[in-house]
Amino acid sequence: MIDALMDSAYIKSIPFLWEGLKITIGITAVGLFFGIIIGTIVGLGKLSKLKIIRAICTVYIEVIRGTPILAQALFLYFGISEDLIGLNLNAFTAGVIAIAVNAGAYIAEIVRGAVYSIEKGQHEAGRSLGLTKGQTMRYIIWPQAFKRMIPPLGNQFVISLKDTSVFSVIAVQELVYKAKQYYNATFDIFETLVMVCIFYLIITIPIGIILRRLERKLDV
Amino acid sequence: MYNMISVKDLHKSFGELEVLKGIDAEIKESEVVCVIGPSGSGKSTFLRCLNLLEEITSGQVIIDGEELTDPKTNINNLRTKVGMVFQHFNLFPHKSVLENITLAPMKVKKMSQEEAKEIAVQLLDKVGLSDKADVYPESLSGGQKQRVAIARALAMNPKVMLFDEPTSALDPELVGDVLQVMKDLAKEGMTMVVVTHEMGFAREVGDRVIFMDEGIIQEEGDPEQIFTNPQNPRTQSFLSKIL
Repeated sequence: MIDALMDSAYIKSIPFLWEGLKITIGITAVGLFFGIIIGTIVGLGKLSKLKIIRAICTVYIEVIRGTPILAQALFLYFGISEDLIGLNLNAFTAGVIAIAVNAGAYIAEIVRGAVYSIEKGQHEAGRSLGLTKGQTMRYIIWPQAFKRMIPPLGNQFVISLKDTSVFSVIAVQELVYKAKQYYNATFDIFETLVMVCIFYLIITIPIGIILRRLERKLDV
Repeated sequence: MYNMISVKDLHKSFGELEVLKGIDAEIKESEVVCVIGPSGSGKSTFLRCLNLLEEITSGQVIIDGEELTDPKTNINNLRTKVGMVFQHFNLFPHKSVLENITLAPMKVKKMSQEEAKEIAVQLLDKVGLSDKADVYPESLSGGQKQRVAIARALAMNPKVMLFDEPTSALDPELVGDVLQVMKDLAKEGMTMVVVTHEMGFAREVGDRVIFMDEGIIQEEGDPEQIFTNPQNPRTQSFLSKIL
């Protein structure tokens, strides 16, 4: 019985898919790291007093949110790096950039919304005590806004993780790409794809549970 | 006596709407001035212009010898001299009562934590809330929140305190404690400008009452005189409605 299980296509696909999962997680983690930086800068930029800065940020957000990530990845990998500047971009790097730029736009909206949602009186109280604009943001507005960002940020993490699957079209060796390679050789299509879904769920379900707990704890 | 605040021909517009239409006022050191008037009369806007929470459209405001509208004036520095208490308290919900009070002294005046804490403890004692140092604002009543807000403003050791309807958001039974703290402050010689609907407080504690309506000062003078024998018909009509 155990031998039969160990010998099944489900189990045999694991080591192969595991390699893909590592790439998937790697791209997501590094991409989101830069995505958060981009999102914070652009999100705060959208609240700038300067019209030109607001306009640049708006264009970025609208272009990215209005086009599919598959088109963005193809555009980045083939359109810009190969065709336009003749650079042979590493597929992994292209994936990281695509996630960073894509998630950055969504995170920017999360940051903008959270900062905007803090009552004006908090800013006024800070300024009336003599704190500078920067100090007021850092010590008063941001800590409160950050709490409100946690649930939507977690949501974005899950979305970005799943989005990495489209990078199989630019030959990034992530989970779905590895699965296709595996079942093309073994023809265990059903078993392999069941395992792929399980691999995604092993990561996304705990994130969902942690988020719901956090949401309750933060009471937002 | 020394003029702590002087306001000359102050105008303030929000877009097309002119809210302040030329205010002239002088407030002396240690004076307690109460500003009364119907809602929409511009009294809160006037108060908020005194620490530049509202940009001034035209005119001049001089506080403790420094001109507010002069671009060379360091506005953050000037604001440390002017404490502000808001109708809705605006305490920082993510910080304990003690941290609410110590934040500005530490970040703006660069005090050490011990030094700032010492001042905060003294001030909490003064407003009768020594036992609340470590709780968070959400667990306080409105009256307690407002007293913490007063302590927070006092921690910067301001020369002037501005109060923007400090008791308007409070349940009636909680108003007394806040007014008592303000009375004590007045007795100590703090210069105070109080926008209020508490006519009893204005009468008892105010050295002078300013009645504002339609963006100008309609009448000002000794509280007794304003309340018992108002000259301006607008003042008469306003007081007859509320007293």
